[in-house]
Amino acid sequence: MPDIKLTNVTKRWGKFYAVDNLNLDIENNSFVTLLGPSGCGKTTTLRMIAGLETPTSGRITIGDKVVFDSEQGINVPPNKRKVGFLFQNYALWPNMTVYENIAFGLSNIKEELPIYDFSFKNTVKLIEILKNDQEVVKLIRECIDKNNKIDHNRVLIKLIDVYSISESTAKALFGYKIHEVKDSRTAAKQIIDELTKKADEIRAGYSKKGQELNEECAVTEQGKVITTVRNLSKEEIDLSVRRVAKIVKIGMFMDRYPAELSGGQQQRVAIARTLAPEPTVLFMDEPLSNLDAKLRLEMRYELQRLHVETGSTFVYVTHDQMEAMTLATKICLINNGILQQYAAPLEVYNKPNNLFVADFVGNPSINFIEAKGKQQEDGTICISMLDGIKAVFVPSAAVNLQKWFEERDASEDEEILIKQKALQDKRYVEKGNKDEAFKYKITKVDNYELDMEEEKVITDEDFVIGVRPECISITEDGAIEGIIYGAMPTGMETTVKIRVGDFLLTGVIFGNVLYRIGAAVRINISSNNITLYDRKSGKYIVSGSIQIN
Amino acid sequence: MNRTEIKKPSRQVIVLNKVRAFFSKPQNTILLLFGIVLTLTTFVPVIAIVNDTFAIHPGTIDAHLTKKVTGYSVVNYVDLFTSRLAKSNLWTPLTNTVLLATFSCIVSILYGGIFAFLVTRTNLKFKKYLSSIFIFPYIMPQWTLAVVWQNVFNSNVVTGTSNGLLAAMMEIYMPKWWCQGLFPSALVLGLHYAPFAYILIGGIFRNMDANLEEAATILNTPKWKTMLRITIPMVKPAILSTILLVFGSSMGSYPVPHYLGLTTLSTKYISMNSKYTGEASILAIIMMVFGVAILMMNQVSLRSRKSYTTVTGKSGQISKIDLGKTGKSVIAFIFIILTFFTSIFPIISFAFETILPNPGDYSFLYTGNTGNLTSKWWLTRDNIAEKGMYGQQGILYNPTIWNAFKGTLYVAVCCALLAGTIGTLIGYSVSKNRRSKWANYVNSVAFLPYLMPSIAVGAAFFIMFSNERINLFNTYALLIIAGTVKYIPFASRSSLNSMLQLSNEIEEAAIIHGIPWYKRMLRIIIPIQKSSIISGYLLPFMTCLRELSLFMLLCTQGFIVATTLDYFDEMGLYAFSSAINLILIIMILISNSLVNKITGASLDKGIGGN
Repeated sequence: MPDIKLTNVTKRWGKFYAVDNLNLDIENNSFVTLLGPSGCGKTTTLRMIAGLETPTSGRITIGDKVVFDSEQGINVPPNKRKVGFLFQNYALWPNMTVYENIAFGLSNIKEELPIYDFSFKNTVKLIEILKNDQEVVKLIRECIDKNNKIDHNRVLIKLIDVYSISESTAKALFGYKIHEVKDSRTAAKQIIDELTKKADEIRAGYSKKGQELNEECAVTEQGKVITTVRNLSKEEIDLSVRRVAKIVKIGMFMDRYPAELSGGQQQRVAIARTLAPEPTVLFMDEPLSNLDAKLRLEMRYELQRLHVETGSTFVYVTHDQMEAMTLATKICLINNGILQQYAAPLEVYNKPNNLFVADFVGNPSINFIEAKGKQQEDGTICISMLDGIKAVFVPSAAVNLQKWFEERDASEDEEILIKQKALQDKRYVEKGNKDEAFKYKITKVDNYELDMEEEKVITDEDFVIGVRPECISITEDGAIEGIIYGAMPTGMETTVKIRVGDFLLTGVIFGNVLYRIGAAVRINISSNNITLYDRKSGKYIVSGSIQIN
Repeated sequence: MNRTEIKKPSRQVIVLNKVRAFFSKPQNTILLLFGIVLTLTTFVPVIAIVNDTFAIHPGTIDAHLTKKVTGYSVVNYVDLFTSRLAKSNLWTPLTNTVLLATFSCIVSILYGGIFAFLVTRTNLKFKKYLSSIFIFPYIMPQWTLAVVWQNVFNSNVVTGTSNGLLAAMMEIYMPKWWCQGLFPSALVLGLHYAPFAYILIGGIFRNMDANLEEAATILNTPKWKTMLRITIPMVKPAILSTILLVFGSSMGSYPVPHYLGLTTLSTKYISMNSKYTGEASILAIIMMVFGVAILMMNQVSLRSRKSYTTVTGKSGQISKIDLGKTGKSVIAFIFIILTFFTSIFPIISFAFETILPNPGDYSFLYTGNTGNLTSKWWLTRDNIAEKGMYGQQGILYNPTIWNAFKGTLYVAVCCALLAGTIGTLIGYSVSKNRRSKWANYVNSVAFLPYLMPSIAVGAAFFIMFSNERINLFNTYALLIIAGTVKYIPFASRSSLNSMLQLSNEIEEAAIIHGIPWYKRMLRIIIPIQKSSIISGYLLPFMTCLRELSLFMLLCTQGFIVATTLDYFDEMGLYAFSSAINLILIIMILISNSLVNKITGASLDKGIGGN
């Protein structure tokens, strides 16, 4: 099954590292989003997996097949990787109609497939449909326009959609004209008789040759399905096109050219084209970024549904953290070519690996509060923050800071060692786009003060506390005094900025409350999901709660 | 996964895998193949010609001076640069050539640039008619205007030839410098290449963001200052590329200086070729050195061009300058007259020449007597009775002419197909591998022959393919090879340009679907870019029809139309050469408008490429 595995994949252009030593396992059936700010290498990663870009070094496997290995010189071209790719700008072929766009890829498939007898299959299908002649008549009658004439195209699309039949079969069905005769029942009966006769003849023809047709109308010999290497027949292509067109609801646009479609429709055509060959792996490169907000939301649900319906593995690139959170089973957060965190959305939200991840995920952004403190014997950490507010951080899991710092230093030393080793290799190219520690932003009333503080020496006693906006509550018995600095009510919730001393904290208060700017309030930080970071490395230490003294 | 098994593949496997991965991309195969082929077709003739300058040719000056029949010596160089004849064989032609090329550039840029400005940035009248008629001189053979110049201004008194139109009709005798030499040559070549300037400069004017000028206007800058400080610097890259193209092309032009009696390197090459073979080859090398220098300048200019590309965004509408109520009609009228003389008058003139009883006999014009006209040049079938025709049959029945036409068409079609296909493939591959050095090399090599003077390229192919070992002289094969190599740039430029505009994703989408390469090309890329690809075929075709400088060394007179012309000129059958010109021009115009109508492709797209 197609698990995708990336090992030490690096891609650079000259000194610029687009992807730096990326290791990633994408499990079968998962919906993985590659998330990160623009230019962080997420699209490059996707294109490398698809084979559209050649990595500088590393190894990629899809399923049990090595598709790229720089050491062995293997590079399987994208058309042999059997993946689907949905481009940001859709890349519909402007010289082909919607139908041709979808069918073109299918006409190239050449695989070992069973032989189907479609004339038989369609005959059986028609008999089935005609048994319920009332419904057919009703469907056709629905397509009568105001001039009392039947709209042929609409009828065909309707028949195709309702019965999942090909265009030629739909034409045959319409051609019986049972809606024109008074007694549709007898007419249908007559046709059914004729068709049954035809079906029997076909069956007889096969049994003469010692062959049979099974339930799926595949030709069998002695109970075994006969297969040959062949292209898809016209009938199969038509059925496939109609099937995907139905999924994304574009049946009525089949004869249009891409230029004659709206952005959303083009998008859906692009999805249909990608889905038609039934890829087991589907790559999407910011497919929704060109759509308006409402349509985007709609398409998100569609994609979610598609993922469940098709059972394929989806890899999805986006810079929109909202999209990543809502769609993914797992988020892969990248910055400057380096993997920051690869985990389920809620884990990324609640336990960010470092300050960058904490800041990137969540809207409104997380509040960072600088704090100074020491671990007590009982495991809690006494801290002072926000210009002198004393508090105790209670970790929700046992943590030994001393040990944590030692481990941190050890891994840093190891990294330096690896780097030095790499530098000795002559072929090593220094990374031009250097990795820098993430500069978190402390929001203050006067922002310029920030520069002065930076010169302070940072010790192991310096921490950063991350407080999600929803963890701040305004209550009368709150421990911290503050002033409402700004408020933005949306109806469902209100985003408030609260001034505490010189600092600004963002909070989200649910419900229909109106706050007056300038009003004095008392707030509490009440949650078990307060995160604690080491200020020196920016890494996540532990989650817990804060008790303010 | 069984990693241990694949952990240590043998070297062979690694190499094999890498080779397989390399060739799985068709653009790599194309680049490798054409890189090698074009290197051979471009550099081997150059090496052959260099070799020729040192070799001793029996029966020529070098054999005479060294008293040897074979072997190598530097005597050709010594003799050419230091002998008594150095001035007339080298320095005068060289000076003339440089002057001719320089003045041609100035004329074409001034004429074409002003016209481009008027058409794109003012409210000139009759724009549509003017801009289509303006490119005629480029479509027509170079010598057209030269011959017309002769037909109009020559006079028995000054040039010692038959009287031209002005002399015969109004007894106006233009001075000699006006009739022959540098002035008319530069003017004629300048007019011939002015459409280049118009298309290149006009392209920038058309796409230029009007906000740039409006910003200056708001700052209360006078109009002339805006023009001088903003508009003209903006079109500098286009002017530069016009200079590069015109300079190289006019240097290698043979027919214009030949007809107008100017001694340049190319005419000298032809006159020296039989007796001073080795020294003539040195002249060809000098011309090539100019070509290479131009290519280098072109590379430099391309690099600096990048800083200008931001201004060619297609934003905003262009504010048109008001020429005034009378101004816009008067200026249009002036240009209508000018283009009449450069574009329509030649056709009329040629047609008229073919019905004159004798060259320069314009008696019909002042007598009005139709008896002073004749159809004998066209219709004579009997080649004995009519004395003035040197045993030739009339144009319509003359086998020499029609064979030459067939030959020309054959060469043009083959060249167009080959050059168009190869150029398109190269353009495609280069656009796919833009970062690769090899791709850039192939692109440059493919472009080099374009900047080489045609006569030098012809000379190189002549030496290369017409000797004791390989003799392709006077075969279609040789003409087609030379033409293809020379015209690939037309197609490769226009296809590279259009491919760069085509989003990569369009093809990638097809790759993902497993669509084979040939099908991607035929069903997706070519249909989308059909108009510029067709002009990649059209340009070689048209240029080939009227090419003389490149082919004149490679075949005998009468093999193709352009060389047949010379043959009849030498015989004094001017009506014949006029008729050939006429047929050629009409054929080119018809095929141009036909292709334009059917496919929407037009010449300007191809030339405008860079």
